[in-house]
Amino acid sequence: MAFIDIDGIGKRFGAFQALADISLAIEAHEFVTFLGPSGCGKTTMLRTLAGFITPDTGTIAVDGSVLSQPGVALPPEQRQMGMVFQNYAIWPHMSVFENVAFGLRIARLPDAEVNARVARVLEAVGLEGLERRHPGQLSGGQQQRVALARSLVVEPKILLLDEPLSNLDAKLRERMRVELKTLQRRTGITFIYVTHDQAEAMALSDRIVVFNKGRMQQQGCPRDIYERPANLFVADFMGLVNRVSGQWAGPSQVRIGAHMLDVTSAATTRIGAVTVAIRPEALLLVTGPAEGRNLIDGTVRESVFLGNIVDLRVDIGGAELHVQADRWCTLATGDPVRLTVEPAECVAMRNE
Amino acid sequence: MGQLIAAPVPSQSFRPQSLILGLAILGLLVLVAYPMLWLILGALGVPADFTLDNFERAFTRTQNYAALANTLYLGLGTGLLSMVFGVPLAWAVARSDMPGRQIIHLLVALSYITPPYLTALAYIILLGPDAGLTNRLLRDVFGFSSGPLNIFSMNGVIFVIGIHVFAFTYFLTHSALKSIDKSLEESAQMLGAKRWQTTLRINLPLVAPAITGGVLLSVIDSLASFGPQAIIGMPAQIVFLPTRIYATISSYPPRWGEASALSLVLVAMTIIGLGLQRFFLERRSYVTIGGKGVRSQTIRLGGWRWALLGFCALVVAMSAVAPIGVLTLTAFSKDWIAPLSLSNLTLAHFGSALFSDQMAARGIYNSFRLAAGAAFVAMAVGAAIAYLDLRTTLRGRIFLDYLAMLPLGLPGTVMAVGVLLAFIRQPIAVYGTIWILLIAYSARFIPLATRSVSATLRQIDASLEEAGRITGASWLQSMRRILVPMARPGLLVAFLLVFIPAFSELSATILLYTGGTETIAIAIYRLNDLGQIEVVCALAVFTIAVVLVLSALVHFLSRDRTLPSEGVG
Repeated sequence: MAFIDIDGIGKRFGAFQALADISLAIEAHEFVTFLGPSGCGKTTMLRTLAGFITPDTGTIAVDGSVLSQPGVALPPEQRQMGMVFQNYAIWPHMSVFENVAFGLRIARLPDAEVNARVARVLEAVGLEGLERRHPGQLSGGQQQRVALARSLVVEPKILLLDEPLSNLDAKLRERMRVELKTLQRRTGITFIYVTHDQAEAMALSDRIVVFNKGRMQQQGCPRDIYERPANLFVADFMGLVNRVSGQWAGPSQVRIGAHMLDVTSAATTRIGAVTVAIRPEALLLVTGPAEGRNLIDGTVRESVFLGNIVDLRVDIGGAELHVQADRWCTLATGDPVRLTVEPAECVAMRNE
Repeated sequence: MGQLIAAPVPSQSFRPQSLILGLAILGLLVLVAYPMLWLILGALGVPADFTLDNFERAFTRTQNYAALANTLYLGLGTGLLSMVFGVPLAWAVARSDMPGRQIIHLLVALSYITPPYLTALAYIILLGPDAGLTNRLLRDVFGFSSGPLNIFSMNGVIFVIGIHVFAFTYFLTHSALKSIDKSLEESAQMLGAKRWQTTLRINLPLVAPAITGGVLLSVIDSLASFGPQAIIGMPAQIVFLPTRIYATISSYPPRWGEASALSLVLVAMTIIGLGLQRFFLERRSYVTIGGKGVRSQTIRLGGWRWALLGFCALVVAMSAVAPIGVLTLTAFSKDWIAPLSLSNLTLAHFGSALFSDQMAARGIYNSFRLAAGAAFVAMAVGAAIAYLDLRTTLRGRIFLDYLAMLPLGLPGTVMAVGVLLAFIRQPIAVYGTIWILLIAYSARFIPLATRSVSATLRQIDASLEEAGRITGASWLQSMRRILVPMARPGLLVAFLLVFIPAFSELSATILLYTGGTETIAIAIYRLNDLGQIEVVCALAVFTIAVVLVLSALVHFLSRDRTLPSEGVG
């Protein structure tokens, strides 16, 4: 049995189905990310885990004991979890020290221990020397660290993070990302992380759970999710993708216009209309003699130099493909071009 | 699934939350819903009867009919006065280069916070037909044999209430004018519009809803303004709805049913007014483009600014300087009829008012403890209702919120009738004790506290409390150590916002006090009847001083309310 067992969780707010039948097993020490657009249910799921929301259906168990079930939820303060909020939620009427010491004071630990533990955790997040500051005097990154320190000082078994990096500027976000990952490895705490940023999710997670419209779309390691999306939503959400419409022409062949493409697919019925997802960087320009499978001839419609790559739009008759060529590519509008792609990179899936 | 440990029992820590919020809901129901229920039942003749006769009597009995007509006439008059005074002053202060704009603004605020029954008393001293200071002056100068001005008239009532309620029109129009960004006018000017064309075609339509809203608020406030209606209207034998309700209940035997029916008529008038006011003010949304940071254009008037200043000065002289001045002078004079001189100065009246006069001293003591008690109750209930509305998903919380706002539309006299009917009988028979006043004040001013706390809570993100919970604090601990300390300045403002009007409350008190529970307003009212003008003025000056100091404190606290958290996140 897994460390955290989420079984059939559903939640409705009025007419809005926020969560539907979410089941998920999370192991101890894992870094799991709930990924999806706003309103997809990821934050609702996190808040249900924290005990702020009582589910309508299903149960949540941690370490074998049920924390949430329909109508009954153990209150947040008894769950031994930590949470970092999107706006950090640093208490403005307390100093950094008082913010971090809060949980220990509530637990009525002796002063000496409180001081020692606060000092240790502040050092761990790089805030030593700022104990007496008030939140108004801190930068966004520092406030973020206070929020982390405050959650970590009580040594939770599980740390919930609700878009903790979304309020930071791009540079700082990258640095905090690395620090978070290091922190998680060092402490061994189970991290459950919510974000709408797929790059962040891939960089941090052992496992990504993609949410949309209150439903779980797919779960797996970042590579799986990126390379083998379960549906068009996931394919789209994980990054730039060519969506090409075609017809099944064989057990693993799809006809697109004049072209025949070898594909991979999880679909069981392989008849009729189908959409093939191909990442732009998987399409390669063929310069030498034409041989092998999945050769596609087309014409360059547009060529844009972006510095590290050249972005091509290629008309293949009945469809248009984005292609990422290397920066030495000098193809211009109107030039004929021949592309190739591995069948494993062509994921055929049901139309939505 | 492996072995599961039994589901947790609902946690202990949810109990204080349910208990505290449950008590607040009960408090709100007892304070507001229960008296309103009795008001309606009373109008139907319950418990003796069940009939619509009272409503028939409310409209057909001559005295009632006259009161209704007078009240409508009063509303029209004060509404007109409110516009004539409020709009030019607002424009002058908000947009012109008239000198002394700050002082005018402060004096309008002063006339707003002065209880209107004190203004009425001041004008009896100034414009009383025989002894009135102004009349004596006019007679000396022009040789009139009597009069010539008489405050004891319909126009007198309209005037005294008008110079109080014009502040509504002033403040709403002022803030609307301030919120029009300069660019709106500049665009018109770029298209060739002249100054007066811009004012007429851009500014006026933009602030028209605010003007209408302000005028309607003035009218509503006038309808309920018991003090001047009684102090000036009764000697002149002009009856308005609130004074008619008072007379109906004070008659022997009291006619509860008729009073309740008349109250409901007054409520209906108020609700229609408030509905219209909301309708007009909501259309204002297209004007207000954020409160701060708007640059507004100042208009240079040249020589005309002195003429405008003359008008503004006259209005505030009538509304604030003259009444407060004459009350102060009288309070310090041995003989208020005698001319002003050093030998005529005395502190004796304050001695009587504060110490030796039994009723006055008791009134001051009662007003302080009642205002403090009501402020505390209203703040506590208001805070809980605001919390329920903003922080929980309790079913019916919208209804509670409406209920907490309901007294805003109820004149003090009406509230008093409801409270009287509800608490004169079992199970909570507290009529004749000071508790009934505490109930009436708490109920009347709960909306002020609820609105104020609600604004405070909106500024404090819920995640701050949630962060406390997930860090191990129970609901009660996170309230005590996180929400309450952060909301403290806002809670204090809520307390003061109730304390100030409760301290000088007259219209509900007059129906509910009994021997021993007189308040400062009752002492003023009764001693005025007994002709002890100097002691009355001393009490009035004392009341105005208390109200003024506390209002300044509210202003200071509200301005200084930005929490250190702002700018976080």
